[in-house]
Amino acid sequence: MAGSFEASDGLSSRERRALETLLTRLGDDEFVLAERYTEWQVRAPSLESDLALANNAQDELGHARLWYDVLADVGLDERALAYERDPADFRHGTLVELPFETGDWADAVLRSYLYDVAEDLRLEALTASSHPKIADRVGKIRSEEKYHREHARSWLERLAEDDDGRGRLQDALDRLFPHALTLFEPAVPPRLGAKASENDVAKAAAVDADVVDLGLRTATLEELRSEWLSIVVPFLESLDLAVAVDRDAENPEADLDALLPDARGRDGAHTEAWFDLHDELTRTYRELGRTETTTIMEAPDG
Amino acid sequence: MIWEVFRQERPGEYHAHCGNVHAPDRELARQFAAIQHGRRKPTNSLWVVPRDEIGEIDAEDVAFGGTTDKSYRWATTYSTAGADASEVAESEDDQADAEQRRGES
Repeated sequence: MAGSFEASDGLSSRERRALETLLTRLGDDEFVLAERYTEWQVRAPSLESDLALANNAQDELGHARLWYDVLADVGLDERALAYERDPADFRHGTLVELPFETGDWADAVLRSYLYDVAEDLRLEALTASSHPKIADRVGKIRSEEKYHREHARSWLERLAEDDDGRGRLQDALDRLFPHALTLFEPAVPPRLGAKASENDVAKAAAVDADVVDLGLRTATLEELRSEWLSIVVPFLESLDLAVAVDRDAENPEADLDALLPDARGRDGAHTEAWFDLHDELTRTYRELGRTETTTIMEAPDG
Repeated sequence: MIWEVFRQERPGEYHAHCGNVHAPDRELARQFAAIQHGRRKPTNSLWVVPRDEIGEIDAEDVAFGGTTDKSYRWATTYSTAGADASEVAESEDDQADAEQRRGES
């Protein structure tokens, strides 16, 4: 049953909850990853790679804004979402919130690769979304994401050429892979100002089923994860990296679930690093007594 | 390794030198050039060329021409009365453009 999202008023509570949950997971991933990328500013291995990553960070911030903007239709403005929200109410996967080890460029490019492949797949599953604004915005975002994937792949291939670089990639992969799997976890509906309900955690899977059932996204998280694995595992193995997943195992799904970290982000549980990052990224807003987000361009339409 | 970058604004136009990028190979040079030189101005195409592959001959090597004033050759200095044929008007426009560019460079 496809819902009608043509008009934002008159949404049923089920439709509204599915919409909010989908858009916060999309927007939060982009927003938080951009914040982390920004830490590389003036610290990347060369001026060129510095600019390339800064470019990607700026793209991701723009994408976060495109997703948050759709929530404005249901009365949630950017200020509430970005600056006023309880950090525990963010729904990004833990992959994007982990801090970088100082100078560990292998982590930055591998993380970007794992994330950008996942993002491409989920955008593909949004191209025929029943929500016209979501469907419209996918094209703009995908045109920029292609560059991100090529950039990450180029770096991975080059870092994997010698033992030192490959060793660094393997360390980063062992650390990041379980967190990358959180990208495919169902999100607990964010409270977004409403009172928390005890059953929220148990609702995550059901709400994601609603997202698909209402046609907001046309693939399930399981399908996206399996597609993602079919792309990233062979590629990483082609670089002589060992991936902690046996796709021929008897029960690969259970093996993957066992790899998941305790805090998955999507479930509202985060690593300590997120609370530090959130504190930092809202500091200027708080200390200068800001009351709104800064915009230099007109709000996206369509 | 340094790669010189040439930018073409619209199809059919010349690629004009716009700067350079450091990159270990052609593929990364293309990717870096796209961000550094194709992001802020309208761009249809970029060339990346290894600096060592560029041949140069300069004013110390040879006496170049182009130092005498040949502006009398420009048809724009003639005044005519009445409407010109469209070919003449177009040609004059082209020459006026060329002259203006020459003045700007």
